[in-house]
Amino acid sequence: MLEALFPSDDFRLLAIIVALPLLGAVVNGVFGKRLGREAATLMGLGTIFLSFCLCVATFFRLAELQEGERAARLVWHGWQWLPLSPYRGGPGDQIWLEFALSVDALSGAMSLVVTGVGFLIHLYSSKYMQEDPGFTRFFCYLNLFIFSMLVLILGDSLPVLFVGWEGVGLCSYLLIGFWYGEEKNAAAGKKAFITNRIGDFGLLVAMGLLMFYVGALDWKGLEAGAENLLQPQQIWPFGSHIPFFDKLGSFGEWVNTPRAVTAATLVGLALFLGCAGKSAQIPLYVWLPDAMAGPTPVSALIHAATMVTAGVYLVCRMSFVFVMSPAAMFTVALIGALTALFAAMIAFAQNDIKKVLAYSTVSQLGYMFLGVGVGAFTAGFFHVVTHAFFKACLFLGAGSVIHAMHARIHDTDASQDMRNMGGLRKYMPYTFWTFAVSWAAIVGFPLTSGFFSKDEILLKAFTSGIASPLPDGKVGIGAREIEIWQWPPWAGYLLYGLGFVTAVCTAFYMTRLFIGIFFGEFRGWKIVKGYKAAHGHDDHHDHGSHHAELGLAIQGPKPHESPWQMWVPLAVLATLAGVGGFLNAHLFHLHPFDSWLEPVFADAAKHVKLVEGAEGYVYPLLGLAVLAFAGGVGAAYYVYVQQRGEPAQRFTEALPGLHRAAEQKFLVDELYEETAIGSVDSLADVAVVADKWVVDGIIARFTAFVVGAAGSVLRFLQNGRVQAYSLSMVVGVALIGWMLLAPRAEARTRVDDEKGVYSVTAAPGLGYSYRWDANGDGEWDTKDYAAANEISLTLEVAQKRTVSFEVKNALGQTAMGEVPLERPKPDRSGAFEPAPAPPDGAPPPDADAEQNAERALKIIENLPGIKQPPAPPASGEPQ
Amino acid sequence: MIPIGNVIEHYVLLASVIFVLGAVGFLVRRNALVQLMSVELMLNAVNLALVAFNRQHSSDMNGQMVSFFVIAVAAAEAAVGLAIVLSFYRLKSSVFSDEADSLRH
Repeated sequence: MLEALFPSDDFRLLAIIVALPLLGAVVNGVFGKRLGREAATLMGLGTIFLSFCLCVATFFRLAELQEGERAARLVWHGWQWLPLSPYRGGPGDQIWLEFALSVDALSGAMSLVVTGVGFLIHLYSSKYMQEDPGFTRFFCYLNLFIFSMLVLILGDSLPVLFVGWEGVGLCSYLLIGFWYGEEKNAAAGKKAFITNRIGDFGLLVAMGLLMFYVGALDWKGLEAGAENLLQPQQIWPFGSHIPFFDKLGSFGEWVNTPRAVTAATLVGLALFLGCAGKSAQIPLYVWLPDAMAGPTPVSALIHAATMVTAGVYLVCRMSFVFVMSPAAMFTVALIGALTALFAAMIAFAQNDIKKVLAYSTVSQLGYMFLGVGVGAFTAGFFHVVTHAFFKACLFLGAGSVIHAMHARIHDTDASQDMRNMGGLRKYMPYTFWTFAVSWAAIVGFPLTSGFFSKDEILLKAFTSGIASPLPDGKVGIGAREIEIWQWPPWAGYLLYGLGFVTAVCTAFYMTRLFIGIFFGEFRGWKIVKGYKAAHGHDDHHDHGSHHAELGLAIQGPKPHESPWQMWVPLAVLATLAGVGGFLNAHLFHLHPFDSWLEPVFADAAKHVKLVEGAEGYVYPLLGLAVLAFAGGVGAAYYVYVQQRGEPAQRFTEALPGLHRAAEQKFLVDELYEETAIGSVDSLADVAVVADKWVVDGIIARFTAFVVGAAGSVLRFLQNGRVQAYSLSMVVGVALIGWMLLAPRAEARTRVDDEKGVYSVTAAPGLGYSYRWDANGDGEWDTKDYAAANEISLTLEVAQKRTVSFEVKNALGQTAMGEVPLERPKPDRSGAFEPAPAPPDGAPPPDADAEQNAERALKIIENLPGIKQPPAPPASGEPQ
Repeated sequence: MIPIGNVIEHYVLLASVIFVLGAVGFLVRRNALVQLMSVELMLNAVNLALVAFNRQHSSDMNGQMVSFFVIAVAAAEAAVGLAIVLSFYRLKSSVFSDEADSLRH
């Protein structure tokens, strides 16, 4: 039935999938306040759920089509959107970019994650945000986010993807600053937005480069033309050489040596800049930890499960471009591994549970890039999926804990500080068990989803790499030939080493978080039996009222478990986090996920090479992965449970500098503040001066002063007497009338020197009549005035004559005009000079240079008051 | 058609005199009612000139047509003008135009 309704080349279902969340956003945004919470919830949840169901239907339709190795793609052609080539006339001459949506195995899987996890988080939010005054606004933004994310995933070309890319960035900004009343939250939103702009610049550049080299931006065209990216492109020096350095001898020569890379490397690096912005990789990761200022469901949905993985999705989507450049792929893998380790180290020293999870997200995103960077696209993308499950669950669990803490602690920072928690295992069983499962997944407890996905990435980091896209490793012809950069032999060791250390760190800090929240004694407040709340639960309006007296100084009831709307999503996600790994359990030769995505990455897989004997590494590396898990968790258990944090205390005291550096995030924010932001600020300071003096001073104030001065003069004419006004009108009418009627003797002359024919035309006017003296004898040709205002006469060579005429108007007034005429002698070439000769000696275009010089000289001689110039220069010779 | 020879000059002269009378009257009198009457004089002088010229260029009826137009506009003008004068009188108890100077600098 689905096939009859929606044929695969016009799959309108995609438009409906995308449009439903948009409908929800519009209805909630425009009518939300009037609809009330119940209806807004229904609208928000209903549209996403429908969208999810349609995604499932699409998925099955796709599975039907994709039998065997064939890659299936369902396309909906929307409308012609942008012209990609100039119009040259003629129909079909112009290449248009379509606004089209398409779905294949990769985007089908991703859209399931987005709508599925999205729906669960919507459900969770309906309770979590219940008391918030901005409830409907929240759901409007959330639905808008799902819409944008679906456009990003389902877009059939880079520009359509970019629309979604910017849309999710906007929603992220709106939701981070959702509680914009606090300066901190608004600043975090701006930071996220601006940091993402830097990345988006890279994506725009990549689109331009692809348009230039490949000539297409849709997936099909890019796939067909990706080979064109294998050409050398000089990147240094700009132009032919750097002007100053070519005088510096051998150093200058070294500087000016042309350097080239392949176009694929340029495109790959530009694309990766976009990915690094969206997916929070070094150097653009700084916005993600701050993004935790938004409501916790937002952190779960946007800043853990879906939006931040868009960068990984883009690398997977453009895999056939990335594999053209081993250098770009190595950059992706290395940046990913470094980010993973760096973020994990910062996470050690954080006490805010959301901050720990945020750095953990950055770290896990690094893993994903490590995976896709070494060519293990399926493994990287599988980690996207499993991470969406367990990290969303962890965030929602954290939200549930914060929700419970809000019973007595209303300060945002204090309610998220794990030092105020502990022992919640007893009070919040659902939250505890779901959190425990996701914790097991992220630390790599054997057979959980994180174990399989992370293990696969680590294995591939060691065994997999990118081969040269061309067999001889050279690209270009003749002098422009360059060698393609190759992966060094130690790449596998380095990447695996970084990944392994990160795995140990992850296990350690996540266990620290887990123990800090759920084990030990409750440290938030003194639990009193039968405590009656003095004021309403979740009363957000007295933030910080108990700030000064935290700890056991205040009393409160037992921390409570969250309502079903909150723990049901937790349970579903935890189940998926627990067993989802079996979708791609290579260990048990069970990998439907891998087979499902295989056709998408078939092109890219040709360029991936495995080290020799890769099969043999599976079990040793598996052992190491379990060791990393056991080591990290065991160490954390020893430090925080057996020794009650004693070793951590000693470590902090022994190396205070290192601890403080990690706690203060290695001062990267401050570094950016000083360098990038500082230089922009200086630029702004300069611009302020220009603005103050040039724009404000000259353009605005001075013109205003001139107008004002003119106004104060003219104001005296504005005396309010109607007679004065009418008098000025009468005077004006009289002046205009006189101007129209007065005789004016003006004439135009048409000259034809060659034939000697000259005609003089007197200007026409109201009631004019004319008489002429055409023969120049000083007598009027006719005594009477006539209507003829034009005469024509013929002159001999070198003859001069002055033609006079007289104009009479209707009132009998007259005016006289004279027109001197002269027919010049022909010059040597037989051509006539224009009469009169132009004073600057500009030559007629047909005369040669010698004649020009002579003529110009003659004119200068003949001018009065000019002394005899020096002898004319010899013809044609330079002095 | 009756030949009128130079007679048109008389008409034009008369129209000019009436127009100038109207203009001067408008300029020198302060009574708004008299000023309105002066405006009527000017309009009628124009009508007279139009009709006279139309007589000379009698191939079409444009001149006469425009003069009807002018009469219609003059009626509207008088209606609006008198209404303004009436309102003004209610406001200031005066019909002298030099007292209507609220908009001066």
